[in-house]
Amino acid sequence: MKTTNLKHLLITALVFVFFWAADFEIFCQGTGGSFKPAPVPTYGNWKSYSKKNGLPADKAYCVRIDGNRVWVGTSAGLALFENGTWKTYTVDDGLAHNHVISIDVSELSGDLWIGTMGGVSQLSAGKFVTYTQFNSGLANDVIYSIVCDGKDIWAATGGGASHYDTYTREWEIYTERNAPMHEPWTYGVCASEEKVYIAAWGGGVIEQDKKTKRFRDHVDPDGEMEIDLFPDDGVVHDITTAVSYADDILWVATYFGLSRYDGTRWKGFFDHDSGLASNFINNLRAIGPVVFLCTDKGLSSFNGESWVTYKKDENGTSGKVIYRKGDDITENTAPTAIAHNFVIGVDVKGDDIWVATSKGVSHGTKIK
Amino acid sequence: MKKYYLIIPIIGILYLAGHLISKPAKKWARAHVNYITEVDDHPLNCLNCHLYEKEEGPIYKILNRQYISPLNLTLSKEGNKMYVVGQEGNVLLEVDVTSGKVIHKIKVGEHPHSVVLNSNNTLAYVSNQWSDYISVIDLGTSKEIDSLKTGNGPAGLAISNDNNYLYVVNSFSSDISVLDLNLKKEKKRLAAGNNPTCAKISPDGNNVFVTSRRTLPMPYNTPPMTELTVLNTNSQYVTDRIIFEKAYVMENVAFTPSGDLAIATLIRPKNLIPSIQVEKGWMMNHGIGIIERKEGGRIFQFLLDEPNAYYSDPFDIAITPDGKKAFISNAGVNVISVIDIDSLRDFIANTSEDSLKMYANHLGISSKYVITRIATGANPKGLSLSPDGKLLYVAERLEDRIAIINTDNLEVSGHIDLKGPSKITMSRRGRRLFNNAGRTFENQYSCYTCHPDAHEDGLVYNMAAIGRNITNVQTLRDIGDTPPFKWNGKNQSIHKQDGMRFSKYLTRTESFNYDDLDALVCYIRTGIKDIPNLMYNPDENLTPAQQRGKAIFYRTHDNFGNEIPASNRCYTCHPPPYFTNLQMADVGTLAATDDSMLFDTPQLNNIFASSPYLHDGSAPTLEEIWTKFNPEDKHGVANDMLKDQLNDLVEYLKSIREADYYVENPETASDSLLSYH
Repeated sequence: MKTTNLKHLLITALVFVFFWAADFEIFCQGTGGSFKPAPVPTYGNWKSYSKKNGLPADKAYCVRIDGNRVWVGTSAGLALFENGTWKTYTVDDGLAHNHVISIDVSELSGDLWIGTMGGVSQLSAGKFVTYTQFNSGLANDVIYSIVCDGKDIWAATGGGASHYDTYTREWEIYTERNAPMHEPWTYGVCASEEKVYIAAWGGGVIEQDKKTKRFRDHVDPDGEMEIDLFPDDGVVHDITTAVSYADDILWVATYFGLSRYDGTRWKGFFDHDSGLASNFINNLRAIGPVVFLCTDKGLSSFNGESWVTYKKDENGTSGKVIYRKGDDITENTAPTAIAHNFVIGVDVKGDDIWVATSKGVSHGTKIK
Repeated sequence: MKKYYLIIPIIGILYLAGHLISKPAKKWARAHVNYITEVDDHPLNCLNCHLYEKEEGPIYKILNRQYISPLNLTLSKEGNKMYVVGQEGNVLLEVDVTSGKVIHKIKVGEHPHSVVLNSNNTLAYVSNQWSDYISVIDLGTSKEIDSLKTGNGPAGLAISNDNNYLYVVNSFSSDISVLDLNLKKEKKRLAAGNNPTCAKISPDGNNVFVTSRRTLPMPYNTPPMTELTVLNTNSQYVTDRIIFEKAYVMENVAFTPSGDLAIATLIRPKNLIPSIQVEKGWMMNHGIGIIERKEGGRIFQFLLDEPNAYYSDPFDIAITPDGKKAFISNAGVNVISVIDIDSLRDFIANTSEDSLKMYANHLGISSKYVITRIATGANPKGLSLSPDGKLLYVAERLEDRIAIINTDNLEVSGHIDLKGPSKITMSRRGRRLFNNAGRTFENQYSCYTCHPDAHEDGLVYNMAAIGRNITNVQTLRDIGDTPPFKWNGKNQSIHKQDGMRFSKYLTRTESFNYDDLDALVCYIRTGIKDIPNLMYNPDENLTPAQQRGKAIFYRTHDNFGNEIPASNRCYTCHPPPYFTNLQMADVGTLAATDDSMLFDTPQLNNIFASSPYLHDGSAPTLEEIWTKFNPEDKHGVANDMLKDQLNDLVEYLKSIREADYYVENPETASDSLLSYH
């Protein structure tokens, strides 16, 4: 009896060691064992799609996971990946414009809201409804970002932030005329339970209290446009490109670095003092404690402590995974990589990550 | 004696005076009636216009009655109780089916539409279309015990099999409220088709089908396309939007017991070909839409009409529990059409795909599945079958009674009198005429067909030669005091609008006799009320955007400080209470295909419910009136406005209520004669 137990124990230990070693190998990929486990998930097994294998265009602006489906906004229409195949919707199907820049899925209705270069399209049960600056109260037809917040739809447009109440059908426009913006050009929008945050070009972040409808702005107090003169005094730059809120943290992207705001304090992150791939951040998306950052030099992810960055080798299909925690940096090679280092959009759900780049869209899975 | 001597000369003087003025008075009256009616032989009956057309006050109350007007009904699961929605009486009637007596009259909200019972028949839910809530009725005490807030214009209802959710079709806000009956509040609201009306849950409980009446917004001058919305009760998402091409006014839908087919009533308008086609059977056709509920299922449309006989305004549909027969109420011709469903299935199975498509317009095939027509009283609407399917109950809306039809011998076996007023007033008679297709060539359509609920159907019509003078249908709500009529303003009265010329150019049959014409005009002037604007102005307090828009509406200077000429300010042509100055105007929208003319300035009351806009319906939304069709500022100075200002103006326009509100509250207009800053 005792011998049997001992055997079982040994076998279990061997199996554990085997899997641990295999796991370790996957992540270390020959780095000599100096790996320290990254606190943010790591993704790999990248498979990319471009015009060659089903995507309507190489340039992918945005991506959104919708259950078993994945929607990708490209420069030649809205692409749907379902059951391993791609289907494309264009203006011929009722889409407002073929340049699809932003997508969100309404949890309330299941409808897809699509921001394009020619207005907003609502895709509901396979049928498009289009809202433009001519046929509706939409502020402007260039939609950089769209967000579904319950019954409310928010769009960051080239002519202000638009709010549409799908119950009352009322459109509201927020510009420098009625909100503390520098100019009407808005780039990003996101919502928390109590507030809406708008990334306003040159105006930092505009915050609206949902109950009182009152605004306040978050700008860079040092007012310096070339450098972040005083660290952590506010958002790192007044030119903001995207906002995302999760786990009580507001993340703000700029072309000059990343800002994190916990409701009290701001903290800035830059490529020279953190794991951020580049200060030029096109977009970001916070999922739980982790923020995914779309830069011109790869995709970074960060949980406030540790960084994981994905880059594609300039020549070839392999890539790099760079871990950083404090000053500890670990760089691993990876057999697969994202489609291109100019990353524009990202979405994560469960073990899947999808990344939109200027040369196609990439699907990765969680490997740790 | 002396007194008599005094009276004689007085009588003499009066007689002489009467004799002297009677002739010119009669001449004046003749000229007046001739002007109003545009004919020279209409009887000089002053009372018809000057008494019966009173819209309020004691005379109105004396001459008119509060009818019940049963619209929809349902039976208890045992079939011994019937619950009837009295649309005009604002009541839910509980009827003992065995005795045929009304046993309870339960007051509900304004203009109730539908009723549905929970599975154990302890509660009834009634949708109050003009009050925006659901009355919850305890059927044990026959009392309203609760109210549930909905979207705008609650109409059709469906309850989930577990009684946990009520699906409410909001007919004015064009969405579906999902009400959590345990929490007694709205869980979510989902977009439906345009002007949805009916909700039916599938036999397996997995889907709710929602019909709609108005076409989806379509490119200008293209045929209508109307949506049947499919909601999944498990995900509570809309999972399909089935489009019926070239069809509209889909009032109701029913499922076969197995659920393999869904059959909806519909109308197929030929609005883009000249209306003279009425003589060829091509103005309006009435039929059904069939949905095969399976993977790759097809959609068909077939007519209920026959050559030389039309069955206008199909409303409700009920299918027997054995799935053999379908009954359809043809509200415009007072009949129930009976369909043999097996014959319908055989017909579909033995017909090629191409032929099936063609049959959507074929007048000769209804004989293959319509087995008989059963005559009813005026304006048959809602239908309900007894649990065993042996009896069909028909709400005869303009009779205030329920017809009982034996579904075996297909004959009317009796009636249940709902005890409405026994007197048929002139307005009621006019309403019957309005809802009846009898005065149109071969019963092709009634006034109601193009003016559902006395509003408008959202279509444009080619009323003249091909492509000329395309005309957007106008509402009939509260139009009595807004002459002239027609977009070209050629009709100075409703008498003229609905008189000889109407029959000559539109209905292509005998015109209304003068008694009927007077009754019809009486109904249009007194019996068609405007809806309350609960969607955009529920509590008379304008939102900040509406207030800003109101200031723009009444502004005298543009954004650059330039004075706007009085003739080009919004309120000059659109003053309250009707928001029309009753004048003709050129707003720069005359199309190349229009005859040269000015346009009658339309009233703006409840304008939110009247898309598309402009005389030819070329503007699908209010915004487009100014973003696309006002390049030279002829339709008001607007090109100086920023987009948010236009939004505010549109929000104010959508908030404009029924005219009575502005009559009773004149300060709501006067307090806004301020300049815009």
